[in-house]
Amino acid sequence: MICDEARILLGAYEDGELPADRRQEVERHLRECPECAERFGRFLKLGDAIRTQLPTYRAPDSLKPAARPVRAWPVFAGGIATGAIAFLLIGLLIQRRAVPDLTSELVSDHVRSLMADHLVDVPSSDKHTVKPWFLGKVDFSPSVPDLKDHGFPLIGGRLEYVDGHQGAALVYMRAKHVINVLVLPATVEGAPASDRDGYHIRHWKIGDLGYWAVSDVAAADLAEFEKEFLAKG
Amino acid sequence: MLCHVDAAYNLARWLLGDDHDAEDAVQEANLRALKAYGGLRGDAKPWYLAIVRNASMNLIRARKRRQEMESDSEEVAMTGDRTFDPAKMTEISFDAERLRIAMDALPPEWREMIVLRELEQMSYREMSQVAGVPIGTVMSRLSRARSRLLAVLAEVPE
Repeated sequence: MICDEARILLGAYEDGELPADRRQEVERHLRECPECAERFGRFLKLGDAIRTQLPTYRAPDSLKPAARPVRAWPVFAGGIATGAIAFLLIGLLIQRRAVPDLTSELVSDHVRSLMADHLVDVPSSDKHTVKPWFLGKVDFSPSVPDLKDHGFPLIGGRLEYVDGHQGAALVYMRAKHVINVLVLPATVEGAPASDRDGYHIRHWKIGDLGYWAVSDVAAADLAEFEKEFLAKG
Repeated sequence: MLCHVDAAYNLARWLLGDDHDAEDAVQEANLRALKAYGGLRGDAKPWYLAIVRNASMNLIRARKRRQEMESDSEEVAMTGDRTFDPAKMTEISFDAERLRIAMDALPPEWREMIVLRELEQMSYREMSQVAGVPIGTVMSRLSRARSRLLAVLAEVPE
């Protein structure tokens, strides 16, 4: 290895980004070439100095809103303070990536969907429109039963990305409450029926697909929803 | 706990050089990230920092345009393309103040690489995602940034 080549690779060598064979070539060259070795030494000192002498800035408190219970947020349509909710949600969303927990993810997806412009990608109360819409967008075919006669009209559907999987979200309503039904392959683990922050979650399987319903509708209503969905799904 | 907002603020603060601007950039980035979240694939940290980085760069450009409009703008003198040459080495002083000044004198695209690598310990792959450039560009910008810092610190004449 000649000096020109070594010099180009010194940074990557220092950063541990070279594959083993190149690393050994660089090491051999550094043993043989005092000029490049000295250069490398300066770069090491520079790295140390940067890491120890330069400030790493921390975000001010204004960017870290105090934790508030999700229950305090308005549920649907008008009156949502977009800015404040944005910061809280971004915290929830990003935190979720660091500590995966399907239940938290479902709740935050549900709340996020309630913000303007993101409830449905395909707005339709007709299951014959919503069900085929997912073809080619997700690699399964969700059940989309018509439950209007039971007081759960279909509002539409959207794509949802949860826990590393491309899923389908079916949106139903009960009076003024939104029920999000997330559909994923049944192999996805987690989020059994539970309550979290005032929201109810119910979980069932049909075939090889898992369904998770999230809503703040009364628990008894959500149980009825599950029963009717299973009956007609 | 917002585990990436510190890294976001650190990057924005180093790029913009000002607390207030950095806060604006991160707030702007947070709103954009919320809207774009449905498209997230893979690691959240580089994805989020890419949004912060772009918001910061936009603010830098807007600031420059404002300055050009307000002043009679004579060209800011270029510091010249000093590069590190061991043959001209004198004793380097790595003191904090001079290091900070040298960092602030780097073009933001180079300074960004130093921050992501040395302060955030990101891999080249993650850095390329944040900056939106190929890994080769990451390597060359980082290498030139380091050479320039050393040259400035050593006060190598042009």
